Order: sequence, then C-alpha cells, then structure tokens
Amino acid sequence: MSDVGYDKQQAGEAGEIARLLSYVLILLASAGLFVSATAIPTSRFEQLGAGAFPKIVFAGIALVAVIAIVEALRKIPAGAYGRFARQTQAWAGRRYLVFVTLGALAVYLVLIPVLGFSLASFLFILGLELVLMPRRAATLLIAVIVAAVFSFGLNWLFAEVFTVFLPRGVF
Amino acid sequence: MDSFLSGLVQIFTLATLIYMFAGSIAGIIAAAIPGFTVTMAIVLTLPLTFTMEPLQGIAVMLSVYVGGYTGGLISAALLGIPGTPSSVATTFDAFPMARRGEPGRALSLGIWASFFGTVISTLVLIVAAPPLAMFAVKLGPWEYFSLIVFALTIVASLVGDSVIRGMLAGLIGLGISTVGTDPIMGRPRFDFGIEMLQAGLPFLVVLIGIFAISQLTSEVEDPKSVRSGNALVTGAIDFQTWQVMKEVLMRPVNLVRSSVVGVLIGALPGAGGSIANLVAYDQAKRNSKDPESFGKGNPDGVVASEAGNSATAGGGLIPLIGLGIPGSAVDAILMAALMVHGISVGPRLIMDHADLVYGMFIAMAVASLMMLIVSVLSMRLFLRVAEVPKWLIVPVVMVCCVVGSFALNNRVSDLYLLGFVGVAGYTLRALGYSLAPLVLGVILGPIAETNLRRALMTDADPTLFLTRPISLIFLMLAVISIAWAIRGHLKHRKPSGRSTDASAS
Repeated sequence: MSDVGYDKQQAGEAGEIARLLSYVLILLASAGLFVSATAIPTSRFEQLGAGAFPKIVFAGIALVAVIAIVEALRKIPAGAYGRFARQTQAWAGRRYLVFVTLGALAVYLVLIPVLGFSLASFLFILGLELVLMPRRAATLLIAVIVAAVFSFGLNWLFAEVFTVFLPRGVF
Repeated sequence: MDSFLSGLVQIFTLATLIYMFAGSIAGIIAAAIPGFTVTMAIVLTLPLTFTMEPLQGIAVMLSVYVGGYTGGLISAALLGIPGTPSSVATTFDAFPMARRGEPGRALSLGIWASFFGTVISTLVLIVAAPPLAMFAVKLGPWEYFSLIVFALTIVASLVGDSVIRGMLAGLIGLGISTVGTDPIMGRPRFDFGIEMLQAGLPFLVVLIGIFAISQLTSEVEDPKSVRSGNALVTGAIDFQTWQVMKEVLMRPVNLVRSSVVGVLIGALPGAGGSIANLVAYDQAKRNSKDPESFGKGNPDGVVASEAGNSATAGGGLIPLIGLGIPGSAVDAILMAALMVHGISVGPRLIMDHADLVYGMFIAMAVASLMMLIVSVLSMRLFLRVAEVPKWLIVPVVMVCCVVGSFALNNRVSDLYLLGFVGVAGYTLRALGYSLAPLVLGVILGPIAETNLRRALMTDADPTLFLTRPISLIFLMLAVISIAWAIRGHLKHRKPSGRSTDASAS
C-alpha cells in the first residue's frame, strides 16, 4: 500500500467500480437462475414445489443487487471510469503473488489425478516455496524437507493410519 | 445411585482413562487440520471402539468429540481458518487478537471458554435432559422455519462494512444451498448436467474454499512481507493460563448466555455447533457495551463462540438420551456405536441402561477436563505454528485443505470445486464482501426450505406461522433483531457521516 504513485482515493473509486461490476454480474446470474427455477415442475402433492424456494431467494438477490447498483452509481464520480483499467492493472501488479499462488494451485489440482497426490504435492509445495521464500541458501534445505514430509509423508499417514487413499496417479 | 456409581467405576478405570486421553489428543489434532472435521474424526474412531465395552467406547468417542470442538480453535485463531464449521465465529476475534501480537491469549481464552461451556452444558444435560427433549420434539415445521428466519437475521450483525454486500453474501449462500436435488421431492435443480452438482455442493468443500483458500491467498498479497520471511503471527506466545482463566470467569453473563445458546441449539435436531457459535457470537455482540470492537480482537467474541460451540456437545446428547433422536451427525454416529453394542436408543434408554447414561454424563465431564489438560500441556507446541514463516505455511496448509476436501467423499471433482470456490472466495474478499453471512446462508438454506415446504404440505394455511405461539415468538424475535440491527447501523453511520467503503485494493 506504500507503493510510489499509489493514490488511495483513485484506488477506492476503482474498487467501487469493480464492486459495481460484481453487482451487475450477480444480478444477471440471479435473473438467469430465477428463470430456470420457473422451469422446475411443481408437484401435485405440495403447494410450493421444488422451484419456489430458489425463486424467492434469486428474486431477493436480484432486488438487493439492483439497490446496490443504484447506490454504487451514485457514489462513483464520472471521471473514475476512465481510470479504471489503469487502476486495475496497478492493483493486479501489486498483488502478482496472489495470481502466482492461485495459478500454482490450479495447476496442482489438475495434476493430482495425473501425477498422484504425493508427487504433485511435492512439486506444488516446493515450487510455491521457491517463489515465496526469502532468497537464502539455508532455507532451501528446509523447503525440500517440508515438501517431502507434507507430500509423501502425508500420503503415508492417510493410507496407513486413517486408511484414506489419496489419488495415486496414472503412472 | 447404584447406576451412578456403576457408571463412575466404569469410567474411572485406567484403560478407559488412557483411551479417553488418546481420544482427546486425536480430536484436537484432527480438528486443527482444516477440512478434517469432528465428524470425520468420530467416524474414524468408531471401528476402534467395536472391541471395547459400550460405555468405554462411547467415552472415547465423547473425548474425541469434546477435543474436536476445541481443536477447531487452533487454526481459527492462528491461521484465520476455521478448522471446523463450528469455529467460524472464532476466527472473527481470535484471529485479529493473534495478529495483534497475542496468539497465546487468543488460544487460552478459547480453551477456557470451551472448558466452561462443556461443563455448563453437562450440568444442564444432567438436570434438563428429559424436559428439554420433550420441548424440542414438540416443535413442528412452522416453529423450525421461524427459528431459522430468526437465525438468518444474525446476518445483520455479521455484514462487516456494508449492509448491502452482507445481505447479498447471505442470499448467495442461500442460493448455493439450492443447488442439487431438492430436499423434499428429490427433483434435480441447477445441476446443468454436471454429475457433481446433482447431490448439491458439498458444504465442507465450499467452507474450506471460501475461508481457507481465500485467507491463505490474501496472506501473499504483500510480496515484501512474504519474502522477508515474516511469520503469520508475531508477538508474545505467552499462554497466560491462570490469568486468562480469571479473565474468562470475569465474563459470567457472556459465558453462561453463550453456553445456554449452545445447549438449546444443540438440543434441536438438525442444528448444532455450526450454528451455535454464530448465534452465541451475535448475542454477545448485541449485548456488548462496545459492539464496535467485535471483529477486531474482542475477548468476548472468542468466549462467546467457543463456549457456544462446546456447549452443543452436551445439548446434542439431550434428544439422543431423552428420545433417541440424534441432534447432529456426530450424535448419529454415537447412536450407531450404541446400536452396534446391541443397545436400543430411545425413551427407554435412561430406564434400561441408567448406568450407561450416567456414565455418559461423567464421561462428558472427564473428557472436558482431559481436553483442558491436553490443551494446556500442548498449546506451547501448537503456538510454534505462529513462528512458522508464511512462505512455509501457505503451501503446506493449502495441501492440507486439498487432503481435507478429497477425504470427505474421495472425489477428484471436489478438488476442482475447491479451486473454483477458492478463487470466488478470494474475489469476494477482495471486493469487500463479508464471507460469514454466505456460510450462514449455506448452512441454514436447506433447513429453512425443508421446514417451509413441510409446514405448507401439512397445512396449506400460511397464517399458522403467526398463530402458533412458539413460531410467533421466533418471528417477533426476528423482527426485533432486524430493528435492533438497523438502529445500530444508523447510530454507527451518524457520527461518521456517509460511509466510504474500504477500497477493494
């Protein structure tokens, strides 16, 4: 937050626009789900049917989302929209490790069924540790040991003690 | 008296006490791992008790149960991740307290509150099991629906910075709960042909994704802090055992109120610790002279949540012992354990196996004492977690989350869901949405829908919600609760003028 050139007010306005976009997305999704809830057939045995509760909920979401949109539109100054793309880019730049972490998690989850839990976890832990850790030689040894314990060790613990078998992979 | 002594003798054998001690340790460790619930720990304990005497087996399972409710506190306080659904509210104040440099105090507060909560619930269990069980069974779907409406109004005090986003989060939670087959007729809803969605979104995977993954991801937002090798929590790791015990006892009203909330909610079949901690927290906040400090490390918040969730252990046994109705999944497993030993659970249990019932009461008290001893002795070890740097904690706990999510159903597709929910959770967090109402919506949604539809199936007249006295009382409480929350928000807004929401960045 102490980055050079960081303007708190402009960042706040960009945040408000991002929230406005989220309200619009939520409104669209809830409207779509409300429509699909109307297609759920009712039962002759009950007054409400399986679609009634979802309809109440999604109508509620849509209503609150509309109120949120109106309130957000009142708050955002006209000039803020022009700065939105630049502010978002700056925000993402400040948080690049978040994207690295989530990306690594996504790759790890996809690789688990292929490589098996032990190997995929070892690579994920070690890889992410290498990205996040302070660049000192001493920490590398700790990183490797921790990665081995929480991948191969955890797999052994679950298989032998809890008889829960984690994915073994195709190899 | 003979039955009581017989139960006492059976519990106080060396073998039983050693097994119970091991059960306490296992429960605490299991619940400290995100995604590894008390229910899972009890399920894994069940086969081990087959060869034991009935009371010995139940006593061990109760130790795991009581230990498990406390274990959830460890990751809640130190990592900001609820180890179990029953410690969601614990994260609200214990985590900020730990972050503020008092991790030892946060843990100690939670442990003492858990201990006293369990003791109070055991006392209530002994005195009130039969009458409370009779009351709980008299509640029809109208009363249950009204109770859930009342519970939903809790959202009002969990909304965080923005009421609108808090309401949206709560409603999204209710929406998530409608995915999958409907609870009454079994009709498919919103599964879009995806097999995993047909049975509904697994609640625990959603919980782990929303809270754990988003929390862990937010830990790496500042590259400088991560790369400097900073620990997750810094400050004195002083457990302050006796000082904190006094601190907890100096809050008798909060302690007793939260425990009673836990007992009452635990006694209602279908509710349980996952709701009790939130209701107890809400009540503590509403009755506090300083509600603004909640969510910023207020000790009352920690005491309320932990006393509330631990008291459900005793409360849940009330309908089980009184009527043979399990109040939660854990109670159902306890019931199964009794049935494995050829003991039929029902209203006659207390007459036919009085020694067993008294033994269970004694086992509860002993289990809570063991939990306290194990916790006090081992917390220094657990507090070492606080010294582990972020770069180690983040990937390791993420792997634990993956294991927890997979082990629930042994489905790889749950892992993909975890990743998706984690990204969604982080996005909502970054946009300033409060995640607690969302979780509350997911928990309460199915109970609300089932009872609403069941009520109208039983009698199509909707005015019954208003004409049945207990239902009316719950609805009136809901209205009062909303009015109180609106008053609080208006009061809060006045001095600060038009609130400017925190930036998403």
